[in-house]
Amino acid sequence: MTAAPRAARGGANWRVRLTSGVAFRFESLLVLAILVVAMAALSPYFLSISNFLNILLATATIGVLAIGATFVISSAGIDLSVGSVLGFSGVVGCLMMSNLDLPWPLGVVACIGAGAAAGLVNGFLITRGQIPPFIVTLGMLGVARGAGLVLTNGLPIYGLPAPIVYLGQGRPLGVPTPVIILVLTAAIAHLVLMHTRFGLYTQVIGDSETAARAMGVRVERQKVYLYTLSGALAGLAGLLFAARVNAGDPTAGLNYELTAVTAAIIGGTNLFGGRGSVVGTIIGALIMGVLQNGLNLLAVPSFYQQMAIGAVLVLAVWLDRVNRSEGRRR
Amino acid sequence: MLRTMILAASCGALATAIAFGGASAADKPVYGVLMKTLSNPFWGAMEQGVRDGAKEADVEYFLQAVESDQAAEPQLNTCNTMLEKKPVVMITAAINSTILLPCLKHANEEKIPVIDLDNNLDPEITKKAGVEVAFHIGSDNEAAGAKGADYVAQTLGKDAKGPVLVIEGLSGNITGQKRARGFANELKKVAPGLTIVASLPGDWDRQKAANIANDTLQRNPDLVAIFCANDGMALGAVEAARAAGKDKVIVVGVDGNKDAVKSILAGRLNASVAQLPYLVGKEAVENAKKLLAGGKVDEFIYVPTLVLTKDVLEAKKDPMLQYVK
Amino acid sequence: MSLLEVRDVYKSFGSIEALRGVTFSVEAGSATALVGDNGAGKSTLMKTITGVHRPDRGSILFDGARIDELDPRGIRERGIEMIYQDLALAKMRDVAANIFLGREITRNVLGLKLIDHKRMESEAEKMIEKLGARVKSVKQIAGQLSGGQQQSVAIARALTFNPKLVIMDEPTAALAVREIEHVLDLIRTLKSHGIAVILISHRLTDVFAVCDRIVVLRQGAVIADDPTDKTSMNAVVSHIVGAA
Repeated sequence: MTAAPRAARGGANWRVRLTSGVAFRFESLLVLAILVVAMAALSPYFLSISNFLNILLATATIGVLAIGATFVISSAGIDLSVGSVLGFSGVVGCLMMSNLDLPWPLGVVACIGAGAAAGLVNGFLITRGQIPPFIVTLGMLGVARGAGLVLTNGLPIYGLPAPIVYLGQGRPLGVPTPVIILVLTAAIAHLVLMHTRFGLYTQVIGDSETAARAMGVRVERQKVYLYTLSGALAGLAGLLFAARVNAGDPTAGLNYELTAVTAAIIGGTNLFGGRGSVVGTIIGALIMGVLQNGLNLLAVPSFYQQMAIGAVLVLAVWLDRVNRSEGRRR
Repeated sequence: MLRTMILAASCGALATAIAFGGASAADKPVYGVLMKTLSNPFWGAMEQGVRDGAKEADVEYFLQAVESDQAAEPQLNTCNTMLEKKPVVMITAAINSTILLPCLKHANEEKIPVIDLDNNLDPEITKKAGVEVAFHIGSDNEAAGAKGADYVAQTLGKDAKGPVLVIEGLSGNITGQKRARGFANELKKVAPGLTIVASLPGDWDRQKAANIANDTLQRNPDLVAIFCANDGMALGAVEAARAAGKDKVIVVGVDGNKDAVKSILAGRLNASVAQLPYLVGKEAVENAKKLLAGGKVDEFIYVPTLVLTKDVLEAKKDPMLQYVK
Repeated sequence: MSLLEVRDVYKSFGSIEALRGVTFSVEAGSATALVGDNGAGKSTLMKTITGVHRPDRGSILFDGARIDELDPRGIRERGIEMIYQDLALAKMRDVAANIFLGREITRNVLGLKLIDHKRMESEAEKMIEKLGARVKSVKQIAGQLSGGQQQSVAIARALTFNPKLVIMDEPTAALAVREIEHVLDLIRTLKSHGIAVILISHRLTDVFAVCDRIVVLRQGAVIADDPTDKTSMNAVVSHIVGAA
């Protein structure tokens, strides 16, 4: 017997082929393309390699956070603490390196470890304490921010070891290191989300927790891992942030949690869980990066920029909605 | 598919419309001005000063700000983007003393002079980071705090006794720290009987300041004066004190913004040490022009401050009043 | 020795005694009906057998070995499959992913266990074909299938791993008449292959059509356990409602 037809035939076929392997929302790529063309037409400064590198650099921290958000939201959870955890872990790492004079690799471990620890606490409270993730991570948002301020007395810790500064400001082969780290992180995260049991179960938990449980998925354990992963990525983002400005700033990452969620949603991750795409998330983060960069080049006041980003979020999700209902009618 | 196209087109149109709203093109050399945020009368007045200064000096400029005075990384990103437009000078008001350093260093490398607007950079840290600042311009924040202390001593008498509350700015912000420090040091000198019972960060937040004032009044009902590192917080504190029935507590703010002036004229806020941000903005552009023309400019330029009280405002005689916006 | 032996199982949730000393057994290749009113303890009993709940007291033996300490994964590995009333499908995943949910085929790439999507798809296609299910492609998203098709996927999932016992919870409740016949035929086929079935159903006509034994549960206890040919529809109904 021949296999059943592999994919729906028809006009949308090329689109299916383009997006099936990585499962991102085609519309988000379209929005990104339009934005790039529009900005290039409007500003003579937009189309240059150095400007593109600027955009990528500006996207790096948010991108790393948004990858964590992609996993958590795919599982129908939410992590509102990542912005604060970013600030907290950056501070912890910088204290280790600047005040305790520990070698820089330990600082790296401390940053990511502090983030992972905060995430682990989130995960335990959510699963063992059976407290909704919204509440637990909202609590952590306050605790981590406060802890960072306490540790530093509210003052940025300036001056990090040269290798760390290279991590934030270096440009191997002309590409900023944070961009390289973002790309590597995204590649690994994509592999994990799409091609491992961990990634599949993450999405299945968001799809139907009872189904996951019935089929023997260890839901609680998976959730603890997920929030720990999200925390560890926030720690990595904290490291990048600190390295980029050569300082551990306790106020770093304020309100980043919502920007990270926005990037994930624009990229096609389902807000109610069940479906997520790392590639889509990176596109989502780039949409916001390009928009912000372009509007900056055009000297559009910041108030309008916020309106524009809000509008693009709604537009991207709406395009997806409209196109999907169109597909169903065929 | 058709619908996708229509939607795509409308999306492009939206982007275009937004973009054209602020498009400006110029062949003349342009000054880059990077502020914190415009959602605050202080920065609004400074922007006006920049605008008038640029008009008088006949130079082009483009001005950028971020969504809030806590959006540190977005400000760094905006700074990097501004460099793409190759300004002849970068006039920046950094959100904190470290965030813009990578960008300013880059500006140095491109031989673009850097000007520290409103004294947000710490000369010690910039030197350590190898960033060269052409000049720092702004109010002397320590002097502003000291003037506040002078006013309190003058009003209560130099032998006055009693507890005083200080509400600082955002923890870690150098401006707020300098104002609080200036106030504390001067108060010790001019009215040693007044003791600071608490010095707490109000995070530039009106409500937070009100809460701090309330809480402190619980503990020290005999509080005689409150010094706040900006007007917004002072306005919060004065309302809290009034609501608690403590009409006699002297409340002093810093900035001299519109709301503060209104409150002073209404007999609520006692005084505000006006920072004259308008003048800071204006003189920043003027001095930048001088610098670019090869003239010599001091490394630290302090724009004078003015203590606004009901008497001063009603007399309308002080020539500096024209700069209070 | 029976295939499954449930011996004096107790289970409480707080002050509620859901199961009070349940004892019954299932023979290989037979179909046993489990009937009872809502709240009689049927689902608790099934969840206890499949390892979702652990009994407070008593023991469960399968193939001669105790299974009441295993987790759901371990119990599935022993050969007990359950088809849930809500089918327990991940509605946003495709058919292949659902069939292999919890037991994905992986391949080793540089020490990483990656899911072998291709092999899962081809295996799933074989299974769907064997069952004669009318699913167009194993790449279809489960949530977009009809109720009957979704049921086929759930059944395919249960049968892919050669179970010895299949538990079906109200498999016919949401189906059209023709589809019900299909499910009943399937149960007969399973029996003929030596696979035991526990059928939970409100539809006594279905129960009498395919089951060899009928166990009636009331208020957490077994109150009747008879071979189908030794009992009648009326007797079972009066046991269920407590009139006897």
